[in-house]
Amino acid sequence: MVDIVVLIKQMPDLEQVKPDPTTGEPQLKNVPLKLENLSENSVEEAVRLKEKYGGKVTAVIFGNEQSSAIMKKAYAMGADEGYIITGFKGNNPSLTAKVLGEKIKALKHDIVILGNQSADSISGLLGGKIASYLGIPLLGNANSIEVDGSTVKVKRALEENNQVIQANFPVVVSVTQEINEPRLPPVMQIMQAGRKPINTEAATITGREVRIISNKAPKSERKKIIFEDVDKGIAEVAKVLKEEMR
Amino acid sequence: MKALVFSEFPETAAQMVTYLRKLGEADAATLSSKADALKEYGAGKVYALNGQMQSDNVSAFLAETYKSGGYDYIFVASTILGREVAGAVSQSLDVDITSEIVEFQPGQGNVHTKRNFLGGKTVLEEESESRVFTFAPGIVDAEKAGSASEVASVELKPSAVTVASVEEKQTSGVNLEKAKIIVSIGRGVGKKENIAQVEPLVKAVNGELAGSRPVCLDYQWLSDERQVGISGKKVRPNVYIAVGISGQIQHIAGMRGSKIVVALNKDKTAPIFDESDYGIVGDLFQIVPKLVQALGA
Ligand SMILES: Cc1cc2nc3c(=O)[nH]c(=O)nc-3n(C[C@H](O)[C@H](O)[C@H](O)COP(=O)(O)OP(=O)(O)OC[C@H]3O[C@@H](n4cnc5c(N)ncnc54)[C@H](O)[C@@H]3O)c2cc1C
Ligand SMILES: Nc1ncnc2c1ncn2[C@@H]1O[C@H](COP(=O)(O)O)[C@@H](O)[C@H]1O
Repeated sequence: MVDIVVLIKQMPDLEQVKPDPTTGEPQLKNVPLKLENLSENSVEEAVRLKEKYGGKVTAVIFGNEQSSAIMKKAYAMGADEGYIITGFKGNNPSLTAKVLGEKIKALKHDIVILGNQSADSISGLLGGKIASYLGIPLLGNANSIEVDGSTVKVKRALEENNQVIQANFPVVVSVTQEINEPRLPPVMQIMQAGRKPINTEAATITGREVRIISNKAPKSERKKIIFEDVDKGIAEVAKVLKEEMR
Repeated sequence: MKALVFSEFPETAAQMVTYLRKLGEADAATLSSKADALKEYGAGKVYALNGQMQSDNVSAFLAETYKSGGYDYIFVASTILGREVAGAVSQSLDVDITSEIVEFQPGQGNVHTKRNFLGGKTVLEEESESRVFTFAPGIVDAEKAGSASEVASVELKPSAVTVASVEEKQTSGVNLEKAKIIVSIGRGVGKKENIAQVEPLVKAVNGELAGSRPVCLDYQWLSDERQVGISGKKVRPNVYIAVGISGQIQHIAGMRGSKIVVALNKDKTAPIFDESDYGIVGDLFQIVPKLVQALGA
């Protein structure tokens, strides 16, 4: 039996985010929110561990009133219980870590699972932060997780080598994108998830202010000459390449 | 300003020291076996760390040294271990942190930074009270300084994490950052054996072979060091030829600095075409041999 807390976040569907043509600022209005990629891998891994070893999966989001659709997705994938903590304003990993850390302390947690680096903010700080806040080991960048009694063993993928590392409950494990292929839950489960209650509470702490001066897409000045006539395209590209190879 | 720098890779530590010594003083920590490689880049002191590096013991060393050494800021290279270490040390010191920065300017109390955001889609310029930063590798070239650093040997505390085994990865020593022409393959190549059909193009343009994250990490058709993107190498060749790559933002963020981008993709709605100078819509297995032939003529 393993009690797992899985940390999930929401993000705008990046494929639908376009920069404003004049200001270069991302247009986020009307862009749907989705379960962040690595959070999805995290839920998948938590549910697989539960299916293998038994236990319970509790999902936690530091988000806002719009987070329930994301929690329902986690339910549909197999999370047993979920907490939305409202008050997320973005941009402050130290606050996020404290709010989540506080909640994790109140929950049974043999393993805390989260993504190694989230797809939108690409900060990758939360694993180290949560482990430090809770004072428990971090088994980071896991490509696979195995539980033996109260020992957790992971394959840790690093730039120059792969390690097998281990520590005893309770631990934090951050997962890579490569650890699994998240399931597409069947319609029945999606419907059931829609009816399942979600716990919602407001965050009680606030953080220091970060002032955003600008948020702009770098200008793309590509020529965008696209050939649907393959032979014409090849002739032109070959010309360009020959020029550049000189 | 006095900065404490950490990277397990001396090359990236040297880049940070090169950047920071223009703003003030910097000391740098790295693995002891690699410490000598860091001596000539202008750090006042090089801390040579002995022991099995994990996020808990490295962050404990940085937190203690930050407090006792009178440092203003900690800079950690954004690597797998680095991000974990930076998170942990910012938490234990209870200071704010800004990740993945590409520019840093200290001010009165506040600091001014730029960083990659929204998967690499935008650059976020911020003013904060952050004291810890992760630094995107490769944003400046390391430059040697006149004098050599003093080296201090440090024993790391044991980690709460046990290392059961270590398996070294094969490296080819390829340096994509310096390549003039890159042929980069994506999932569209289909399977590892098919890479042989793209190789003649690599030869014909005298280029280097690279790939998207799935190609390098999921399927391991290519080694990790050939991965281009926000979590891989940031490259700026004269020509970047994307073959069967869809052009997700996390990939684009690694090749945006290329002078000319050419894309081969069978899907004319693929986002890579919006980031290309020249695109050909069609099956790569038909286009590549014809292109090689056209180049030979
Ligand atoms: C935190 C995070 C970090 C990431 N970091 C990176 C990174 O550093 N680098 C990176 O690359 N990705 C990264 N990704 C993954 C990224 O989001 C995409 O999933 C990935 O880039 C897709 O790779 P691809 O283009 O090879 O595959 P796909 O998206 O599957 O695209 C394959 C393309 O091939 C085309 N195709 C198929 N067959 C043919 C054919 N016969 N001829 C021509 N075209 C064909 C298809 O039309 C399609 O466009 C990251 C993701 C996250 C969440
Ligand atoms: N606001 C949040 N609420 C819950 N989990 C989060 C939140 N932000 C980040 N996470 C988790 O932490 C992982 C890494 O995020 P980051 O450190 O922001 O790159 C994500 O993949 C999530 O699993």
